[in-house]
Amino acid sequence: MAGHGESEKKSSDAVNDLQTFRAENLQSNMKVIYYSRTFLSIIGGVIAGILGFTGLTGFVFYFLMMAITSVALIAKAKFSIHTYFDSWNRVLLDGFLGGLMSFVLFWTFAYDIVHIF
Amino acid sequence: MAEDLVLDTAIRDWVLIPLTVVMILIGILRYFVSKLMQSQPTPDAKVVKEGQVVVRARNLRAGANFIPAKSFRARRAYFSNEENGLLHVPKGQGQNPQAQMFSDPNMAMDMMKKNLSMIIPQTLTFAWVNFFFSGFVAAKIPFPLTQRFRSMLQNGIDLSTVDVSYVSSRSWYFLNLFGLRGLFSLILGEENAMDDTQRMMQMGGFGFDPTKSDCYCVQRIALVY
Repeated sequence: MAGHGESEKKSSDAVNDLQTFRAENLQSNMKVIYYSRTFLSIIGGVIAGILGFTGLTGFVFYFLMMAITSVALIAKAKFSIHTYFDSWNRVLLDGFLGGLMSFVLFWTFAYDIVHIF
Repeated sequence: MAEDLVLDTAIRDWVLIPLTVVMILIGILRYFVSKLMQSQPTPDAKVVKEGQVVVRARNLRAGANFIPAKSFRARRAYFSNEENGLLHVPKGQGQNPQAQMFSDPNMAMDMMKKNLSMIIPQTLTFAWVNFFFSGFVAAKIPFPLTQRFRSMLQNGIDLSTVDVSYVSSRSWYFLNLFGLRGLFSLILGEENAMDDTQRMMQMGGFGFDPTKSDCYCVQRIALVY
């Protein structure tokens, strides 16, 4: 909100980059990110388990998966992040660690069922 | 990993898969039970009114640069006037939610119900896992870990020679407990996912004073221009 005081002086061109987000819409967008990340981390975990990744390979696979998710989300937002979210971090980092736990669980589960027994 | 353990396929069929399925089903059951036990809060007219006023003030702040300065000033005066502005609550008059909670037994009851619906199934499942599946090496995580994790992953097995990446059934239960949260949020909708964070916010919100927040609002409005 501190930015408002400054933007007032150049209010003619500041209208475009004013913060005019609706909290509900922003929240719904965040929810979409959260769901897609969780979903993909579960699916990715199962895939990693079935393919039999171990050790570092699996985590690299997770990072790859999340990177793909980020790119897909950006593409879905038609490459104009600031229309839908308030910062880049939302798209790139949100829900990153939350998905890791699900990923590890399903990775272990699928890996055990397919490869260990 | 010099020597690999050979795990019986019966362990997979009778420990690993049942444990996971039961955890998922219990999670779903808990969701519906807590939904049934939830009593609909009857909104207090005064509280709703206050909330709406704050929302309106926030909207005014957000849209401040889109309306003429004169009309903004008029609205600001309407909200933050020192004598009779809507946001100007005399100090100490607003009711503290904590005091409100103690005076309103329903609210405390709700909290207790929520906590109980979390704790009881967890205790029961843990006892069940302990009783039926104690001492199994149920799974193997596909990545190496250091010795530090032994107590975490091989809870219930007292063998120091087993490779750390083997997981006992009790620890598999804990892994499920944390890892299935994401799955629940997918199959049960957002309410379940938001539950924990919301409770955290409630905990953090204790002692949060409405008069202060409103004064805060006044100050922030004053900040805009």
